[in-house]
Amino acid sequence: MKKTVKYLVSIGLLVLGFVVFSSFFMSVPNAKAVKFPYRLSGLTERQAAAHLLSRFTYGATPGEIDQVVKSGLESWFNKQLEASLPDDSLNQMLAKFDALKLNNAEIVSEYPKGNQVLRMAISDGVVNKDSVNKNRNAYKDVLKKYMDDNGMKPEQELYREFINQKVLRSAYTNNQLQEVMTDFWFNHFNVSITKGDCAQFIPDYERDVIRPNALGKFNDILLATAKSPAMLYYLDNFSSVAANNDYMAGRGLMRRQIMQNTAVIEDTTQRAKLQKARKTQGINENYAREVMELHTLGVDGGYTQQDVTQAAKVLTGWTIYPMGQYNKGVKKAVDKISSQRFEKAGFVHDGDFLFNSNRHDNSEKVVMGKHFGPDGGYQEGVNLLAMLAHNPSTAKFITKKIAVRFVSDNPPQSLLDKMSKTFMEKDGDIKQVLITMVDAPEFWNASAVREKTKSPFELAIGAARSLHAEITQPYQLYNWVNKMGEKIYYYQAPTGFPDKGQYWINTGALLNRMNFGLALASGRIPGIRIDLAALNNHHEPESAQAALVTYCQLIMPERKLDETIKHLTPLLNDPTLMQKVDEASANTPPAQMQQAATMDNMAVQDSGDMKGRGKGLKNKKNNFIAMQNNGGDNSMLSQVVGVIIGSPEYQRR
Amino acid sequence: MVRRGFLKSGGLALLGVGLMGGIPGFIAEAAAGEKIISPYKKRKTLICIFQRGAMDGLMAVTPFTDDYLKNARPNLFMSAAKTGNNSPLIDLDGRFGLHPSMKAFEPMFREKRLGIVHGIGSPNTTRSHFDAQDYMESGTPFNKGTASGWLNRAVGLLGHDALTPFTAVSMTSAMPRSFYGDNPSVSISNLQDFAIQLRGNQSGANLAARSFEDLYDKTTSGLLQQTGKESFDAMKMLQKTDLKNYKPTNNAVYPNSALGNSLKQIAQLIKMDVGLEVAFAESNGWDTHFNQGTDNGIFGRNVADLSNSMMALWTDLAAYQDDVTVMTMTEFGRTVHQNGTGGTDHGRASCNFILGNAIAGGLVHGNVKPLAVENLEDGRDLAVTTDFRSVFSEVADKHLGIDNDHVLFPDWKGDRIGVMRS
Repeated sequence: MKKTVKYLVSIGLLVLGFVVFSSFFMSVPNAKAVKFPYRLSGLTERQAAAHLLSRFTYGATPGEIDQVVKSGLESWFNKQLEASLPDDSLNQMLAKFDALKLNNAEIVSEYPKGNQVLRMAISDGVVNKDSVNKNRNAYKDVLKKYMDDNGMKPEQELYREFINQKVLRSAYTNNQLQEVMTDFWFNHFNVSITKGDCAQFIPDYERDVIRPNALGKFNDILLATAKSPAMLYYLDNFSSVAANNDYMAGRGLMRRQIMQNTAVIEDTTQRAKLQKARKTQGINENYAREVMELHTLGVDGGYTQQDVTQAAKVLTGWTIYPMGQYNKGVKKAVDKISSQRFEKAGFVHDGDFLFNSNRHDNSEKVVMGKHFGPDGGYQEGVNLLAMLAHNPSTAKFITKKIAVRFVSDNPPQSLLDKMSKTFMEKDGDIKQVLITMVDAPEFWNASAVREKTKSPFELAIGAARSLHAEITQPYQLYNWVNKMGEKIYYYQAPTGFPDKGQYWINTGALLNRMNFGLALASGRIPGIRIDLAALNNHHEPESAQAALVTYCQLIMPERKLDETIKHLTPLLNDPTLMQKVDEASANTPPAQMQQAATMDNMAVQDSGDMKGRGKGLKNKKNNFIAMQNNGGDNSMLSQVVGVIIGSPEYQRR
Repeated sequence: MVRRGFLKSGGLALLGVGLMGGIPGFIAEAAAGEKIISPYKKRKTLICIFQRGAMDGLMAVTPFTDDYLKNARPNLFMSAAKTGNNSPLIDLDGRFGLHPSMKAFEPMFREKRLGIVHGIGSPNTTRSHFDAQDYMESGTPFNKGTASGWLNRAVGLLGHDALTPFTAVSMTSAMPRSFYGDNPSVSISNLQDFAIQLRGNQSGANLAARSFEDLYDKTTSGLLQQTGKESFDAMKMLQKTDLKNYKPTNNAVYPNSALGNSLKQIAQLIKMDVGLEVAFAESNGWDTHFNQGTDNGIFGRNVADLSNSMMALWTDLAAYQDDVTVMTMTEFGRTVHQNGTGGTDHGRASCNFILGNAIAGGLVHGNVKPLAVENLEDGRDLAVTTDFRSVFSEVADKHLGIDNDHVLFPDWKGDRIGVMRS
């Protein structure tokens, strides 16, 4: 018996070993015998690793260059393309965010919009309609109780969790490239929390539409965005209805069902709305225009206004399946329609997406010379998007945008040609496009290295990574990102944030970048804990000058730092510095003691019994590395690190 | 390149150093540039106020002789005649009455320095706040993909390079859609944030500022070097003034509100002569679906804030009035009929206010027909009879000298209605 178990175990181990072994080989089909061509540009392996990390992560963590060199640059990159590294500690951090596990229907029910809550409360008889008119405050408590009783939460909490998650994930995921690409595609297919109708669907949009497709085929991500509630609402296609069809005549399958079931619609406001809605609807070109101009072909991609109008007709009927408490009447009615009847009528119900054939324009359409329909139904739209995804203009437009993101604001044409060729030949496979990019000498050229300006988000997350920060209040970092000019998820226009240095660097924003560096390094951002001594393995630098050099190299590895060090040196030698620091330390009023992560800083203080040996440090025990008070870390080291984070060199990647 | 125009280097001696007691570098360098005539030539400033949420134009400026309106709004309609305890409308011209909470505007209207355009709005019939604001701010009512905002394009059309970092300032925490684009602009909600700061450690901040200035001065990145220089120049410029203890001129009293605070800071910038030409501020809370009120109430408080803030600015800027125009805008108006909850729903046309010495003031411009159903848009809303672009382009032209409508409002070909005196 015992023997059998042993036997089974060893077989199991063998099988496991084989799986691991084979997966190792399976996992590197893209691995090249040849190395990335960085030597051509005179880069050392370490410099090349630094460049690679600057392009495909949110910033190198201390020691990460060593790891990449050790595993081999090509192997590291392939692992990143696979995006399947374990993320246990991150997942543990995210486990507490309940909202992030919900699907759209659950979100709509649990985080309803304020006005919907009010209407539901009125319809449920909890709030008297007349009291609404008289005194707003009187029913606020009632509403809050109503929400609690029904398991509803304020919508704002949803966005807070979502943003907290984004900060943590970007800072800590091992699959950095996937997250960087998620950011890229989100911005490319931008939607915005500023548009109330689409806001609730954005967490799902990033989680289920963008991230899983971020390293897939372009056609897949295009189709997935087209069918997502966030995009359908953001660019209005959900409401687009053909001018002449059953829907407008009130003969549609869904409409009949809904109107027959009006009894189930308790909310009279909503019923009136439904009856009225038909009159005000018609074709809406917004999505059709932007899908060509911004998502695929580009503004000069070879389409006309006529094509836009025709494409809009192709996409009529692409809408959202009813969901949520507020829509429960409609949903009930529609749910009653059997799938056979649905299918027979040409409807397509796929998750949150609904193709409502009654709203679709059944006539024949022509877009860029290609015919769609008549009576092609849902498939017309699928074919249209596939046609757009495979157009040479799209290949050029998308690959240029990728090159601008990962190479420089003005990538060389020779590189763009290679990338768009791959895009066309490999069916819009994003991984293959990225491989072509890093295999090209242009990627490693001196004109690309450090030529990108970090966006505020890249700066904040990168700084947290550079300093090995422990983030317990991610929203605090988000607030700084916002202050520096990148309110992520709130960019209003469908263009997304412009990806160029000039956009990010303006006077107000630049000062805030400097202030961010100072606040972060001095421990003044609540919930962002850093330990500067630990960063250098608690080795005490020999002198102030040595500390400057050491920390510059730790934070900005593999760069030419002569200039930065030279211009920071006077800071160390300022004869009045210590006096000023002391004063600041002594003068910090109690009012400012509240927020900073004081406990954490105290630990540094205890460890910092080094003797100041640098110029200007004489007789000033502790000041250099551990000048703390409850308002934050006022040591010169924190000051130096703050200036490094805010320095021009650190703004580049 | 427009953006960095004010950083053109030149070897000319600084103009007016003795006079001004130290001119910031960017002005001195601008003076040395080719196109600049005189850095201290007073510049015109256009201040735009966006009333987010859609102001009920029919309550702000009521056609009080219209019985259709009276019938459509049994609880909201106000009259110009004194009835009971309610304050009556301020009769402007026998047909239109100004909301009593905007009494601060009355003298300006009588002096013909305040103009009103009624029936103004967008040709796009959307009644979505988001879409309508987006279209109005991009200035392209039928194109969502327009990357830039109309005020940013206006900055590019000023006819000279941006003189200072303060050419275009939005007093908002995030860049508004109107300001999106490549021309230099700054968004900041509090001017005092324009500094190197380290809470509880000012001397540390000062030291760091010196290091930063040195580092940015020596960096090899042109963009960072130039913007760094601008930033520190701008910071020093603002530090010359005691922003915190600002005393408005003529005892002007700004309402203690977001808008009042924004306009106060805009006035400070104008008085500091830092080259402000386009300014932007926001006013919120106009989406009055519930319990809108009449002479008192939500709407009354909103228009009081709007008018009192604008008039405080105007009083404060007594010496600068010839150079300043203030214009309000809102994404759409509200339904002619009141709704079931004491408010109004999303409609079409609204009205706007333009304040300045060159305004064809004392008039309610535009075309408001009797509010009979057949005259209403979709049978329910005040019809848009004046395209917002007509008014915006005229004000931009006459006040800022921007006459390139083709760039400012690319798809628009239309006539102006004479809101500015020619």
